[in-house]
Amino acid sequence: MTYKVTEDGNVSTVFLNGEIDMDVTDKAKEVILPIVDSGKEVHLNLKDVQYMDSSGISVLIESHQRALEKNTKVVIKEVSKSVLKVIMMAKLEQILNLE
Amino acid sequence: MNLSESKDFLVSTASLKEVRVFSRNVFEKINIPQDQKDELVLAIAEAAQNIVKHGYKGIKETTDRMEIKISLKNDELEIGFFDKGKKVVPENIQHRKLDDIKPGGLGTFFIKQIMDNAVFKKDQTGWVNHLILTKKI
Repeated sequence: MTYKVTEDGNVSTVFLNGEIDMDVTDKAKEVILPIVDSGKEVHLNLKDVQYMDSSGISVLIESHQRALEKNTKVVIKEVSKSVLKVIMMAKLEQILNLE
Repeated sequence: MNLSESKDFLVSTASLKEVRVFSRNVFEKINIPQDQKDELVLAIAEAAQNIVKHGYKGIKETTDRMEIKISLKNDELEIGFFDKGKKVVPENIQHRKLDDIKPGGLGTFFIKQIMDNAVFKKDQTGWVNHLILTKKI
C-alpha cells in the first residue's frame, strides 16, 4: 500500500493505493488517525484501492468513530466497486460517510 | 471441470498477499463470474488471516507454514486450510453482531456470507487444525 496526502484548508485528503489487508492496516492507521486527531476533516480517496478485507474495513470504522469523538468527520470518496461490495456486505454503507 | 491445487505459506501477515495471488491464479482456470471469484478470494484471505491472527495470537514470529488446498469436483468447490496453530474450538467462533459497530470481528461473518459451509475436520494428520470451506458453484 502506498499513500499520498493533500491539504486544502481544514480538509486533508488521503489517497490510498493498493490492497488493504491486515499486513498494512497499522500503516494506514498511522497515516489517517493523527490527522483525525488533529480535528481536521479527512477525505479518504479509495479509487486506487481494488481490494479491502475485514482489517481494512476495521480501519474505516475506527477512523469514522474517532472522527465522531473529535467532532469532525471522515468522508470516503470514489470507492471502487469491489471495495463498495465489501462495505455493503458489512452493512456499513449507511454508517460510513460515502460520497 | 475438476481441479485440485495446493500451496503452503509462511504463517505471517506478509503472506496474505501471496495467498490472494495463489487463489486468483486458481480461479482464473474456473469459468465463474469475476464478482464470485473476488468473493471467494476474500473468503480464503479471511480464513488465512484468522490463522495468523487467532491461531498464532501472541506469537510474534514463527517458521510454521499453513497449507491451502483448492479443489473443484462436480461444481462443488472445497477449500481446505491446514495449520499448526492453537487448536480451534469451533463452538467459540462467533462474529460480532452487525449492529454493534466496532472495528474487528467481521472476517468470520464474511466467510459465512460467501461460503455455503465451514467445518473443522477432526481427522487431520500432522496438522492441528483443518478447516474446510465449501460452496456449490
